[in-house]
Amino acid sequence: MWRYTLKRLIQGIITVWFIATATFLAMHAVPGDPMSGDRAVSAEIRKNLEAKYGLDKPLSQQYVIYLGNLARGDFGISFTQQNREVNDIIREHFPVSATLGILAIVFASLGGILWGALTALYRNKLPDIVIMFFVILGISVPSFVFAAVGQLALVKLNDLLGFSLLPVAGWGTVSHMLVPSLVLGLGTMAYLTRLMRSSMLEIINSDYLRTARAKGLPATRIFTRHQLRNAILPVVTVLGPSIAGITTGSFVVESVFAIPGLGRYFVQAVQQLDYTVIMGTTVFFGSFLVLMVIIVDLLYGFIDPRVRLA
Amino acid sequence: MTTVQPQDIAAGPPLLEVDDLRVEFDTYGGSVKAVRGVSFSVAAGKTLAIVGESGCGKSVTVQTLMGLTPMPPGRITSGRARLRGVDILGRTEIGGREIRGREIGMIFQDPMTSLNPTMTIGRQIAETLEVHRGWSRKRALDRAVELLDMARIPEAAQRANQYPFEFSGGMLQRAMIAVAIACEPAILIADEPTTALDVTIQAQVLDLLSDLQRDIGTAIILITHDLGVVARMADDVVVMYAGQVAEQGSVEDVFYRSAHPYMLGLRAAMPSNSSDRRHRLLPIEGSPPDLFSPPTGCAYAARCPHAMRICSTTDPGAFSLGGGHTARCWLHGDKAPRVPQLAYAGAAPGLKA
Repeated sequence: MWRYTLKRLIQGIITVWFIATATFLAMHAVPGDPMSGDRAVSAEIRKNLEAKYGLDKPLSQQYVIYLGNLARGDFGISFTQQNREVNDIIREHFPVSATLGILAIVFASLGGILWGALTALYRNKLPDIVIMFFVILGISVPSFVFAAVGQLALVKLNDLLGFSLLPVAGWGTVSHMLVPSLVLGLGTMAYLTRLMRSSMLEIINSDYLRTARAKGLPATRIFTRHQLRNAILPVVTVLGPSIAGITTGSFVVESVFAIPGLGRYFVQAVQQLDYTVIMGTTVFFGSFLVLMVIIVDLLYGFIDPRVRLA
Repeated sequence: MTTVQPQDIAAGPPLLEVDDLRVEFDTYGGSVKAVRGVSFSVAAGKTLAIVGESGCGKSVTVQTLMGLTPMPPGRITSGRARLRGVDILGRTEIGGREIRGREIGMIFQDPMTSLNPTMTIGRQIAETLEVHRGWSRKRALDRAVELLDMARIPEAAQRANQYPFEFSGGMLQRAMIAVAIACEPAILIADEPTTALDVTIQAQVLDLLSDLQRDIGTAIILITHDLGVVARMADDVVVMYAGQVAEQGSVEDVFYRSAHPYMLGLRAAMPSNSSDRRHRLLPIEGSPPDLFSPPTGCAYAARCPHAMRICSTTDPGAFSLGGGHTARCWLHGDKAPRVPQLAYAGAAPGLKA
């Protein structure tokens, strides 16, 4: 188990290095640099930066310096925001994005497992048909539509009630988090519902469930001990990639609900070719996702004994 | 024509009596008459083998007894099954004791897929004891180790903590047997228990079943299409064809005094130890009838070399040959011509094998 964990961590570090290198090369392949363009940077900042990052040096040398800084956990200073360290930006805004993302994932996976199990139990009956209608909706409608519709619905609801039940935008309290995380998790929840439904149905006809029935176990015990746990396996498998989907989706939801998350900085930095911020946020997001996938894989081993020895 | 009472087969009241069981399945194409009036009985501590080709209704019969036939699409259209005289069809318990797992244990064809992959073997055995006997987890697990030991699994204590994927096929089938006998059921149903195993393991599993039967006194209903297994294990035999009982009786009667042309056909199709190079396996020509619309007469008539005019128009019903030996065949009628290989009521044994 420890060997496996260590192996996965080393693989993860290699992946992050690859992400860092690819981002570095892609960024420098784009014409222009943060100091050119319509927003002129003052000569003072330009001089400082050139000294620190050696932007006049050959690319290979810049790459080595960049990797060295990265290894020390120093993402550098923003090119466009004076005296703002990338580390500060991440430290300040990542917790917001992470809270939103984690809430969305919890919501999506609990909802997916619940709805999926329900649709399988009521296969081809009314609850199944109704839920599956919403599932198709959830899969096909993009998150910015849900975000806008969700926000509009909140405005109408607050109007109707005459007081503000839930805030329409912003961040700070639990009530701020509910609707955005719901909107953010909706697509994933729909996807997980479908997955859970099909894996439940597959297991209903499995030989070991027939054995469980032949053993005379009560229906509830068969459901919890034999069916649910095995049906969750495929859902857990896709949780890793789902986290990736949710974090990238969060850029849109954050801007609609005016949430001060990391996504906004990420998009802004790309537009302004703010090298250090792009690098910092990309590498940081990349490592976060890699870590999440590793955690999900370890979790999978915990649920499915067959994976533990692998 | 006489109808045979199940009681004729064994002396004293039988443990399980199945009487005129009929099961249909509703499908888009119509209803499939999978089991069409099956009657048999099982005596305590004895082995009854149900043989027949794929699709003849043998598995449906026993799964219906266990309440494992999905309904719908399945439907019991008539019949009764009594365990110690109490009706069990459509019920989950009799006299406060659950039928499944406690009165009747069951093992299945494919041991590799019949156990839960995410639960240890020990827990899967213990679970039955916890549910049916209300034992604590600890006590049930201790008993599970003993049961694994009884099922001849070496190092049972360590094995109990392992998962199905760590077991071989033969070991899994033994673990399955341990699950099924955990509550010492009155009847153990084995639905083709050795079909998925290789021949040497087959023999070990069959030996284990016979030994356990002797030790805990359970009756066994053995479903198979391997006549060799029947000859080795069974006391009584039910030969099924197209959802009906073609012939039934003691293993000696059915094998050595076969009274139904289908059984003769099966015997001719069996490999033998004969060193005679001219001994050829004779297949039964044709295929079983469509059970969406079973023939009005004898189901075997279309394939039977001795078929008469009456066979395709009227169902023969079971003819008794005495001693519980019955055959569903018009050749036992008064006006039928005598077929030399066939055994008749009161007549000398037709053929020695």
